[in-house]
Amino acid sequence: MLYYLLLPLLLILLIVLQSTITDIVFSNYFVFEMSLVVVIYTGFHLDLVKGTILAFFLGFVLDCVGGSVPGLFAFVYIIIFWFSFFISDLLDTEKTHVIIFFSFFCALLKEIILNIFYYLAFDVNLLLDAHYIIFMQALIISLVAPLLFYLMDRTGIFIYEKKV
Amino acid sequence: MFFLKKYKIIIFISVLLVSVLIMITYNLKYGTDKSFLRKIVLETVSPAYEVLSGSIQSVQDAWLRYILLVGIQEENRNLKKKINELKAVIVTYQEGYQEAQRLRKLLSISENNKYRFIAARVIGREQAALSRTVLINKGSSDGLKNGMPVIAYPGLIGRLIDVSWHVSRVLLFIDENSNIDAIVQRNRTQGIVSGAGSRGMIFKYISKTQDVKEGDVVVSSGMGGVFPKGWLIGRVIHVDKQSAGLFLKINVAPFVDFSKLEELLILSSEETVVE
Repeated sequence: MLYYLLLPLLLILLIVLQSTITDIVFSNYFVFEMSLVVVIYTGFHLDLVKGTILAFFLGFVLDCVGGSVPGLFAFVYIIIFWFSFFISDLLDTEKTHVIIFFSFFCALLKEIILNIFYYLAFDVNLLLDAHYIIFMQALIISLVAPLLFYLMDRTGIFIYEKKV
Repeated sequence: MFFLKKYKIIIFISVLLVSVLIMITYNLKYGTDKSFLRKIVLETVSPAYEVLSGSIQSVQDAWLRYILLVGIQEENRNLKKKINELKAVIVTYQEGYQEAQRLRKLLSISENNKYRFIAARVIGREQAALSRTVLINKGSSDGLKNGMPVIAYPGLIGRLIDVSWHVSRVLLFIDENSNIDAIVQRNRTQGIVSGAGSRGMIFKYISKTQDVKEGDVVVSSGMGGVFPKGWLIGRVIHVDKQSAGLFLKINVAPFVDFSKLEELLILSSEETVVE
């Protein structure tokens, strides 16, 4: 129960931190999407219900803060979570290079889903205009992903005295 | 009921997904501004934003101030270095300027007289209790001889007493052994100017009946053939008429500051071309 009570608060803090880092370090040129890595991590380590709820909340908060269509990021994050969840049985998710490549793939997948949505809804093709930024953004977050995984592992050990 | 228990997870996930899709569709159709949940989330997020942004802004400001201070320190160091360099340049220029001023004065002497002058630089001083002499960097190889008058702006200062090949010694008028025949420019009263060391010079053998006043200019008389006539020697600064004896006790201050002599002219011969 504590998980569901604390979850919204922690997710809000995560989104705020993410926005601040994006603003200060990357001057809003790249989005430093830690939330995506969190979703992938939960896909590897949490059960289906908890992870889906987390992905939904996280996406929804991001929708509200980021100003996109409410529900869009929630939908995308749920898809990413499911994808990570079902594929985690096939991968050695402790390996750094697996984390990097999978994060990179998921970052691109997320952009592709968003692009398809915007194309269908608003007839806008983001990939054509911002493919370099999207690629760099995916690369940066995938390279940082192992560190974030490690930090989340340590947090889990600190709270539960074992890995999540 | 058994069906619900068995598939509750799938049902829950499906409901959530359908909800999300409905949410998207609804917001696409009716716009996002009216979303109540959105306002709730934004209201919740804003305090966290303020706290985090404020903290980071403080750190950022402190860092920028630090960077600024480091920059200022570096700039300060460079400016101090520059100031020292410029001070050295200014000293050089001042030295050159003052030398030029002195040489110009000497040149004005040589241009206004039809004498042959030899310029020399002071290279040493001897200011013992009884002796007031300076060494110059010219000697007999430059045409100097014993007894030649030595001039510094604006008048006479002494004569050569020791002439070596490349160095000579000048006996200054303030030396106790120096005597020169002189007259008061105003009324041509004649006497002898003798050196008095640090007290300057004394104008001797002037009768108490003579009219000599403070401020009178004393010039060379030309008697004796050593010093040319009419060259400035000094100014009367004190006349003591109360003293015992037949003569006045007259103190004369030289026009030249003997402690600051640097360049001199030696009058080598009369009525010749200026060199």
